[in-house]
Amino acid sequence: MLLAALIVCPLVFSGLCLLLRRGAAWRLFLVAGAALHLAIVLGTWRAPAPFAPDALIGLDPPGHLLLTLVSVLFLAVAIYSVGYHQQALVSQQVACMLAMLCVLSLVCASQHLGLLWVALEAASLTATPLIYFRLGPRSLQATWKFLLMNSVGIALALLGTLALGLSTTPVPGPISLTVGQLTPLAAGLDPVWLRAGFLLALVGFGTKMGLAPLQSWKPDAYGESPPTVAALLAGGMTLGAFLAILRFVQVANAAGQGQFVAFWLIGFGLLSIATAAVFVIGGTDYRRLLAYTSVEHMGVLVLGTGLGVAGSYAAMLHALHNTLNKGILFLVAGLLWRLYRTNRTGEIRGVLARHPLVGVLLLLGLCATCGLPPFGMFYSELGILLAAAGQGRWWTLALFVLTLGVLFVGLVSAVLPMAFGEPVEVSKRPPQHPAGWGWRRVAMLLPTAALALLALGLGIYQPPAVRDALESAAATVVASTPSTVAGAAGADLIAEARR
Amino acid sequence: MSLHTVMDAALVLILLLGLTMLSAGRLATCIRIFAIQCLVLAFMPLVTEWIHGEGVTRHALVMLLGTISLKVLLIPWVLLRTIRTGEIHREIEPFIGFTASVVIGAMLAAGAFAVSARLTVPGDPPSDLLVPVALSTLMIGLLVLVSRTKAITQVLGYLVMENGIYLFGLLLLRQMPILVELGILLDVFVGVFVMAIVVYHIRREFDHMDTHVLEPAKES
Amino acid sequence: MTPALRAMLVIPEAAIVLALPPLLLSVIARTKAWFAGRVGPPWLQPYYDLLKLVRKGVVHSRTTTWVFRMGPIVNLAAMLTALTLIPVLTSTSLLGFSGDLILVAYLFALGRMLTVLAAMDTGSSFEGMGAAREVTFATMAEPALFLSLAALAISTRTLRLDQMIDGSLALAWASIGPALLLVVGALVVVLLTECSRIPVDDPATHLELTMIHEVMVLDHSGPELALITYGAALKFMLLSSILVHTAFPHIDLLDGWPVIFIVPLRIGALLALAAFVGTIESTMARLRLSRVPLLQAGATVLAGLAVLLVLLRRTT
Repeated sequence: MLLAALIVCPLVFSGLCLLLRRGAAWRLFLVAGAALHLAIVLGTWRAPAPFAPDALIGLDPPGHLLLTLVSVLFLAVAIYSVGYHQQALVSQQVACMLAMLCVLSLVCASQHLGLLWVALEAASLTATPLIYFRLGPRSLQATWKFLLMNSVGIALALLGTLALGLSTTPVPGPISLTVGQLTPLAAGLDPVWLRAGFLLALVGFGTKMGLAPLQSWKPDAYGESPPTVAALLAGGMTLGAFLAILRFVQVANAAGQGQFVAFWLIGFGLLSIATAAVFVIGGTDYRRLLAYTSVEHMGVLVLGTGLGVAGSYAAMLHALHNTLNKGILFLVAGLLWRLYRTNRTGEIRGVLARHPLVGVLLLLGLCATCGLPPFGMFYSELGILLAAAGQGRWWTLALFVLTLGVLFVGLVSAVLPMAFGEPVEVSKRPPQHPAGWGWRRVAMLLPTAALALLALGLGIYQPPAVRDALESAAATVVASTPSTVAGAAGADLIAEARR
Repeated sequence: MSLHTVMDAALVLILLLGLTMLSAGRLATCIRIFAIQCLVLAFMPLVTEWIHGEGVTRHALVMLLGTISLKVLLIPWVLLRTIRTGEIHREIEPFIGFTASVVIGAMLAAGAFAVSARLTVPGDPPSDLLVPVALSTLMIGLLVLVSRTKAITQVLGYLVMENGIYLFGLLLLRQMPILVELGILLDVFVGVFVMAIVVYHIRREFDHMDTHVLEPAKES
Repeated sequence: MTPALRAMLVIPEAAIVLALPPLLLSVIARTKAWFAGRVGPPWLQPYYDLLKLVRKGVVHSRTTTWVFRMGPIVNLAAMLTALTLIPVLTSTSLLGFSGDLILVAYLFALGRMLTVLAAMDTGSSFEGMGAAREVTFATMAEPALFLSLAALAISTRTLRLDQMIDGSLALAWASIGPALLLVVGALVVVLLTECSRIPVDDPATHLELTMIHEVMVLDHSGPELALITYGAALKFMLLSSILVHTAFPHIDLLDGWPVIFIVPLRIGALLALAAFVGTIESTMARLRLSRVPLLQAGATVLAGLAVLLVLLRRTT
C-alpha cells in the first residue's frame, strides 16, 4: 500500500503540473512532491513490508537503500532548482522531473525483471526532454547521442532479460521472471543462456550507467544539461541502472556462476576507471570532468560488486557516498555557472576568496570525490582494496590503485586552482545577479550544504542503522546472510580504520 | 500448407524486409518497409500459439492489436509526418554504400545462422528459423543504425533492432505477463515519439537531418 | 515410355526446341505492345527477321580480325552445347552427367566471353564500353547463379542439372518452400541480367550510350547477326527452362500423362515466363547503371540465404 503510494504520488504531482498553468505553482509542486516522496520513503523504513516471491513490486534491501538515496537527492535538487532557474520553469520540465522520480521509484521497487526494464527505459525517456533544456546545437547533439546510445543499450538489456527468461525452461513449471522466484530455483537454470543473459544485461545496463566502452554520451549529456538535471542523472539514474545489474548479479550468483560474474564485473570496472583516468587528464570543462568522475565511480561500483561479499559492502557504501558527492559537485557547478557564467576550469580562479561558502563547498566536494578521509569514499575504496587483497587479486589491486592515483592527480590539478589562486578581476567578469539573488542564493546553498554535511557526517560516523542497511543490501546481492558480511574482512576492517 | 511452412515463410519475409531496408534509398520507402515488417511480426504470436495447439488466446489477440495499432499505424505515421514537414526525402549514400551494406547485412545474417546453429534453444521453439532470424534482424538493425546518417533512418534502425528482440521474445510468450509486453510496446512507441520530436528540433535548428554533421562537442 | 518411342521422338523434339526461341522473343514483343495499347508485330516476325538477315551479305570492318568472325559462331555453338545439358521439353537432358551444372554456367560464360572479345576487336569505343558493362554485371550475377544452383543441388542431393530440377524438387518445395522461392527470385534476376533485359539493359533503346548488349553487336551484319540474334534467343530459352523447371517441377510428376499433353504444357510454361518478362519490361524502367550492382548483390544475397536455409533444413 505504502509502496504504491510511493510510486504514484510523484506522478500525481506531475499530472497536476501539466494541468495547471500558474508559474510559481510548479516550484511548489516540485518541492512538495519531493518532500512527500521522501516522507513516505522514510515511513517505509519504519515498517518494512514483506512481499511474495512472485509479486511484481516489493522493496528488498538493495532496492530500499537505493530508493532512499534517490529520494534524498531529489529533494535536495528540487529545493536547489527553485533558486537556480531564473525564468519560470516550463511545466513540462517539472512534470518530467517528477515523472522521472516516479519511474525511478518503480525501478527500485520492481521485482520483476521485465517491469524493471520498462521502468528504466521510461526513466531514459523522461530524462531526454530535460537534457534538451538549453536549446541549441550542442545540447541537441547531446540529447540525440544520449537517446540513441541509451536506446541501443537498453535494447541489448532487453535481449539479456529474454535470454535469462529462456534459461528458465529446464526448470519445471512456469516461473515468472521475478527475482524472488528465480533465486531459489537458480541452480536449475540453463548456464549458457544465463551467462549470455548476464553479459548482455551488463553491457546494456552498463551503457545506461556509463560504463566503458559505451560511455561517450556521458560527457555530452552532463555537460550540456542544466546542473540540476545532471545531478539527478549522475546520482539517480545511474543508481537505477546499477540496481538492474545487481538483480542479474543476484540471480547469477545464486546459480553458482560467481566466478564468471566476478570476472566480467572486475573487467568492466577496471576498464571504466582506466578510461576515466585517460580522459580526466587535461580536461578543461568542469562539468565534463565531473562526467568522467562519474564514469570512474560507476566503474568502482561494478568492481566492488565483483569482489565478493566484502567488496559488495564497499560498493554499497560507495553508492551511498557517490550520490551525495555528485549532488554536491553538480550543484556547486550550478552555483559557479551563476557566478562566473562559464564552465571552463581555466577561467575560474579564487572562488574561496570571493565567495567563501561556495569555495568551501567546492573543496569539500573535491575531497569527497577524490576519496580523502574522513569522507566516506575513502572507506569504500579502502574496502575494495582490502577485498581484492583478501581474494588474492593482486593485479586488480595494482591497477585500481594506479588508476585512482591518476584520477586524483587529474581532478585535483584541474579543480584546486579554481578554489585558490588570485580571483579574476572584477572588470572582466561583472557578476550579474538576477532578481531576488538573496533568497535564491539561500535556496541554492542550503541543499548543497546539507548534502555536504550529510556526506561528512556519514563519513565520520556511521550509524548502525545505515551499516545494517548496507550489509543486508550486500548480502542480498551475493546471496549470503548478513552475518557472513559482518564476519568478512570488509566491514570490520573499515570500522578498524575509523579508529 | 502446414502452419510450420507459414511460419517459416513469414520469418524469411521478415529477414528479407530487413535486408531490403539496407538497400532502400528513400526515407519513405524505408518507413513503409518497416511497417510491412511489423505487420508480419504482429501475427507471429497468433501463429506461435496455433503451432503449440492452443487456439486463439487473449494474450495473442491483445498483442496483435497492440502491435498493429502502435507499430504498423502510429509509429510510421509519426515518422512520415516528420519527414513531410522536413521535406527531406532521400537518404544520402551511407559511409559504406548501399551495395556494401546489403552484402555486410547478408554476412551478418549468415553469422547469426552459424551462431544459432551452435545454441541449443531450450524449450520448444515454434520454428528452427526463429532464433537465427531474430538475431539477424537485430544485427541488421544495428547496421542500419550505425551506418546511416539521417536521423530518421537511425530511428528506423533502432526499431528494427526492437523487432528482432520481439521475435526473440516469442520464445517466452507464455512466461511474460501481458502487462510487461504492453509496457515494452508502449515504451518503444513513446521512445519513437520523443525521437521524432528531437528530430524535428534538429531539423529546425540545422535545416537538415544529417547527424554526422552535427557539431562534435570538443573535448577542450 | 519405351526406348524405341523415345528414339523416334528425338527428331521432332529437337525440331520443336530449335524452333522455339524466336517465338519467345515474339511473345515478349507482343506483351510489351499490349501494355502500350498497340497490336504489335506479327507472331512470326522474329523468324522473318532471321530469314532476312541470312539472305543478306556480310560486311567486315578493316580493323577486325578472325576473332570478330569467330564470336557469333562460338557463341551459338556454346548455346547449342548447353542445350544438350538442359532439359527443355522433357525431364531428362540429352547428354547430362554429374557436375554438368558447372559446365552449363561456363558455357554461358564462354559465349559471353567471345561476344565481348568480338566487340573489343572492332576497336570502337562504344563496343568497348558495352563490353566493360556486360562483363561487370555478369561477374556480379555469377555468384547468384552458382549459389542458386548450389541450393538446388543440396536440396536434391545430386549434381546433375536435369536431376536437380525434376520431380524430386517437387518434394523439396513442400518442405523448404521459402528457400526455393528465394532461388526462383535469384534466378529471375540472373535471367534478366544474362539476357540483357530491363531492368539491367534496355533492348529497345537506340542510344548507344545506354546500351549494353546491343552495342556489342553493333558492327555485326547479315548471317553473323542472325547467328547472334538466334544465339541470344536460345540463351533466353535455356535460362527460362531452368527457371520454369525450378518453379514448377510438379509437371515432371505427371509421368503417366501422354506426351501430347505434357509438351504443350511445357511450351505454355515457357511462353508464360516470356510474357512475365515482357510484363517486367513494360512496368519497370531500366535501373541507373550505378544501381544495377545492387540488384545483383540482392540476388546473390537471396541465393545465399536460400543456401543457408536449405543447409539448416538438411541438418535438422
